[in-house]
Amino acid sequence: MSGVTTSWLPLAPILVPLGMGILMLAPMGRRARAGLALAAALLTLLCSALLLSAVWNGAVLVSELGAWPAPFGIVMTADRLGAFMSVLASVSALLATWAALVNPDPARERHHLFTLMAVLFAGVQMSFLTGDLFNLFVAFEVMLVASYALAVLGSTREQLREGFRYIVMNLAASALLVLACGLTYGALGTLNFAHLAQRSAELGPNATVNAISVLLLLVFAAKGALFPLGFWLPGTYPALPAATGTFFAAILTKVGAYALIRVFTTVFTEDPALPQTLLLILGSVTMLYGALGMLSQREWRSVLSFAVVSSAGYVAFGLGLGTPLALRATLSYLAVSVAVTAALFLIAAVAERAAGTRNVRARGFLDERPWLAGAFLLCALTTAGLPPTAGFIAKFALVQAGVQSGTPLAWVAVTCALLASLVTLLALLNVWRGFFWGEATGTRPAPAPRGTRLPAYAASALVAALAVGGGSLLSFTGAAASDLRGDGYVRGVLGTGPVVIPDAPAGEQSDAGQSDAEQPAGGQP
Amino acid sequence: MEPLFALLIGVLVGTGVFLLLSRTIIRVVLGLAFIAYGVNLAILTVAGLRPDAPPLLTLKGPYVDPLPQALVLTAIVIGFATTALLLTVALRAYQVAGHDDVEAFGDSLARDPDSPDGLHADASHLGPDEPTEAPTSTRRAPRRPA
Repeated sequence: MSGVTTSWLPLAPILVPLGMGILMLAPMGRRARAGLALAAALLTLLCSALLLSAVWNGAVLVSELGAWPAPFGIVMTADRLGAFMSVLASVSALLATWAALVNPDPARERHHLFTLMAVLFAGVQMSFLTGDLFNLFVAFEVMLVASYALAVLGSTREQLREGFRYIVMNLAASALLVLACGLTYGALGTLNFAHLAQRSAELGPNATVNAISVLLLLVFAAKGALFPLGFWLPGTYPALPAATGTFFAAILTKVGAYALIRVFTTVFTEDPALPQTLLLILGSVTMLYGALGMLSQREWRSVLSFAVVSSAGYVAFGLGLGTPLALRATLSYLAVSVAVTAALFLIAAVAERAAGTRNVRARGFLDERPWLAGAFLLCALTTAGLPPTAGFIAKFALVQAGVQSGTPLAWVAVTCALLASLVTLLALLNVWRGFFWGEATGTRPAPAPRGTRLPAYAASALVAALAVGGGSLLSFTGAAASDLRGDGYVRGVLGTGPVVIPDAPAGEQSDAGQSDAEQPAGGQP
Repeated sequence: MEPLFALLIGVLVGTGVFLLLSRTIIRVVLGLAFIAYGVNLAILTVAGLRPDAPPLLTLKGPYVDPLPQALVLTAIVIGFATTALLLTVALRAYQVAGHDDVEAFGDSLARDPDSPDGLHADASHLGPDEPTEAPTSTRRAPRRPA
């Protein structure tokens, strides 16, 4: 194949955490294991950053496993979108690992907390960098099996309750995903994203392909916690320990969002009307549902979990608009949302520990923890989307894209987005008023060491940095969004020449040519 | 043969959904297993069902497409692992809650945030978040609700 840039880089962010995670299974002291965990997170971030710099000006890197070229073998691919998501995941992984290191948890660490986290990171990276649909399912399973174990590790009653719900929900969605993979293969004869895109473009608008794409939409909506399918989320995330909960909240729903973006901008682009309408409706409802859910909760991480739901709605809204401007806004919003969610969950962990309760009405922390108050205010304004924060930049771009789109449904969605932002602001100001204002009541537990607060401050600094670097973020995501629209991804993976499928082996009989109707015909463009 | 398989898949998935909607934890697990079997058969059917077409190159042709069979194999392995994990969680839930109704789990969002929700269900299964001394009492035998 001509024009395919092969490289080991797309494999590196997957193999580093996986290998180091296996290494961490060896018996060793906490100090050594913690060092390995930190080294794994840092190395993964380094690999992701290298990957991002390699694809910065639009190259598509491909790792061919076993040297089998694209539509036949398993490939890992990285275009701007994939590398961007990989970096976001690595940053969240580093923050989560840091938080786990400064909050020792001997019981869970004895049962290989760090290994499970490393496998989770590897699965997430693989979901972002894989180049075919079935491999996406495998990556989801790697990620989910690790997340199931992390969700119930410790088996408190709350964890078992929420973990069981989470596992059942995700297993049902996974069964649908396997089914969708099988049907895709049956209808289009391939599973590689780039080849699927080529095939569905040849086929044109087609009812079968539409049905499959809606099935995939359902699956990814369940993983990404869109409205009717996201009821598992607000219960599960608060039940997790602080450090793992941070990574879950920051990245796991974004994996569903990434899959939606990949499938509906690169793969099934021929007849976008139905999926986009569905996404707009689901997105609008999810934004409002999440925001109203935030109002209903009185505990730190329950409030924030509903904020995660709401942010999933914004991503669906941007994707449902489907214009290049909306895609750019969606990708920017993804970055901001990942950073701010990680920061808020880390702040929540510090706050819960400082107050000795999960309830937000601890009162009086403005004097005791002024820096925490400042960090929270910054993150709250970012989540609500007020200037001068990065959240404003992203949400402004989203609303602008919605107004430009101008259809009645887009207007409804814009209204929902603005309304949801307002309610979000109200809910977060409730938290602010309850936790930071007023006279301190009750007894406080002994203050935690300063080191436990550093991850939260670092994440908040990242949120502030995104506001300062908003311009370059928008220009990069603009370029990534224009990649998704063109056929650069397809050409980068499959090469410039046509894909030639060799004839089926004839065997000893010679009637192989007229094989069964279910077997997809070889694709000659 | 395809209509027969379509029926079979329908029955399997239908049974699975019925069991999944049950209140008993173990039935939920079994329901998921049934759905997985149905889905695996569906992928196999997609490849084309022909008794005279083996997927092995060492046998006489014509051949059926072997890729869906590889997909099914992967899906079976993954399904095996997740079912085992889910069974472990179900068993643990049974030990902690004392009975195997989903009601044992309770509801987290509707509860009063100020009330201490049992972070651990009983004294013999203290969670790792409890800094107290290790329990010495023997395990309470699981019992069904009256």
